[in-house]
Amino acid sequence: MEAREIKALIALMHDHGLVELEIEDKKGKVRLVRGTAAPTAAGESNSVPRVAAPVPKAQKGRAAAASAKSTVATRDGSGPLELAANQKVIESPMVGTFYRAASPDAAPFVEEGSSVRKGQPICIIEAMKMMNEIEAPASGRIVKILAENAQPVEYGQALMIVEVG
Amino acid sequence: MFKKLLVANRGTIAIRIIRACRELGIQTVAVFSTADKDALHVRMADESVCIGPPAAEDSYLNIPSILSAALTYGADAIHPGYGFLSENGDFAEACQRSGLQFVGPRARHIRLMGDKPRARRIMKRAGVPVLPGSEGKGVTEVRDAFADAKRLGFPVLIKAAAGGGGKGMRVARNAKELVRLFPVARAESEAAFGSRTMYLEKYLENSRHVEFQILADNERHVLHLGERNCSIQRRHQKVIEESPCPVLTARMREKMGKAAVRAADVVGYSNVGTVEFLLAPDGEFYFIEMNTRIQVEHGVTEMVTATDLVKESIRIAAGEPLGFKQRQVTFNGNAMEFRIYAEDPERHLPSPGVVSNHHPPGGLGVRVETALYDGYRVPVHYDPLIAKLIVHADTRDLAIARARAALREYLIDGIKTNIPLHMKILHDPDFIRGSFSTNFLSRYERAPAHEDPVAPAAKAS
Repeated sequence: MEAREIKALIALMHDHGLVELEIEDKKGKVRLVRGTAAPTAAGESNSVPRVAAPVPKAQKGRAAAASAKSTVATRDGSGPLELAANQKVIESPMVGTFYRAASPDAAPFVEEGSSVRKGQPICIIEAMKMMNEIEAPASGRIVKILAENAQPVEYGQALMIVEVG
Repeated sequence: MFKKLLVANRGTIAIRIIRACRELGIQTVAVFSTADKDALHVRMADESVCIGPPAAEDSYLNIPSILSAALTYGADAIHPGYGFLSENGDFAEACQRSGLQFVGPRARHIRLMGDKPRARRIMKRAGVPVLPGSEGKGVTEVRDAFADAKRLGFPVLIKAAAGGGGKGMRVARNAKELVRLFPVARAESEAAFGSRTMYLEKYLENSRHVEFQILADNERHVLHLGERNCSIQRRHQKVIEESPCPVLTARMREKMGKAAVRAADVVGYSNVGTVEFLLAPDGEFYFIEMNTRIQVEHGVTEMVTATDLVKESIRIAAGEPLGFKQRQVTFNGNAMEFRIYAEDPERHLPSPGVVSNHHPPGGLGVRVETALYDGYRVPVHYDPLIAKLIVHADTRDLAIARARAALREYLIDGIKTNIPLHMKILHDPDFIRGSFSTNFLSRYERAPAHEDPVAPAAKAS
């Protein structure tokens, strides 16, 4: 696969908010993964190129918002996180247990780097044996997941950071 | 015994419960609203959970949120403290259904005593003297209230059937006042308790508020720990409480204590509770209501009986029997509690703000229960009670002297408090003589209250 084609695929992934893309044709197989925390394709053949997600846009946004930075406190004492102007903290609306997937063997709703639509379920908080789906407050990209799977969360605790856009 | 207890409250009582748990070797979980993230109880507890935004109905009154916190953090018991959910039968029931031990009486006892006309009927049947008042289930309309008032004779006290904390309560001295005040009290009751049901009681002039502390285990051992005189009230809210009551003889104490024990025993009550009586000038006493929780003023009884009521309540909830009998209860000296409010002493308006130079008094027989610390911001969202000063001495005169010295020592900057009012009371000849009734404080109210366009005219008189 030519570099031109791969570039086109990257643009396509970005436009459609895809995190991972795998294409196989006569010429071979290509697997593209965006984001930093996504699993690497270790062990796969050298013929499969791994292409980092395009981030210039995000970096630009961060740089542009440098003067309008806000911070969010984290409860574990790891210090405040800096937020760019187009980044929003998704806070827990209730006390409960945070789950990233609908069931232990299901895939997580979102990963860091996932694109989300407004209203799309992004996690579950179990409160009083009720599974409450938490929805994305805005369309954009999940840039950070702050809460640990299967751990308690309190009201107002920062769960994730979404980059709106 | 419990392993981990969630404290479903804030302020001084939350700290009181955390201390008791610490002595009992129980882990604690504090809950807090976003307005209380810097509160002392949050810092003191082993774990803490934010349960909602500042408004009490979304946080400290939010049953699903509190239960979820208890279950998520692995608590096995919940202590409700006073106020908030402490007298909510649905909460007690929801705790039990979620497998959490509620530290307090059973849900049905909370509901029974919360329905004041029903409690009056049961007490009357049990032979506990009850004030003349509305019969049956209470009244909702002015004309029915008027019929009751005519039968009782004025003045009458209009009260909310679901009442508590002085809300929905008014004195009517004649028919005109009744017609005017009944709908006001009813509206207040509807707003505070969601109930339009009211009842009337004969209003006794110059009577005292005398309440008895009850302890009852799950095996129906019921005993009392003597009385507290809580006649120093402002708008039906207690300001100073003391034990023993200066006018009660040993014979009267025994008689009233027996009636209080009977009131609790007849319904099969368990845990801590308080039976409130009105003591008339002629020495007759009448049941008013029973509070099914720890009281703000529990410390007064703790000092004179050397009993830790909060620890007892937790032990009883854990199923332990009482470790002593009525005849082993002894009374030593005199104790007084002064409720310190963040309020302007002249205008009686809340005075929130940032506390600085907080120096609580100390010394022999001086106890301060507070959630204040330097730099703490008293929030606007909750009750303005910020500290309780409790003094204990061999005699009433010594207790008064000790209280004066302690209050003089008490420094709080940044906010206004009612300490000046306490000082005035401690120099009042009638207070010093122990000769006062529930309308005592009206003498300090009249002048400023009339000049004050914000506060309605004093009605405690």
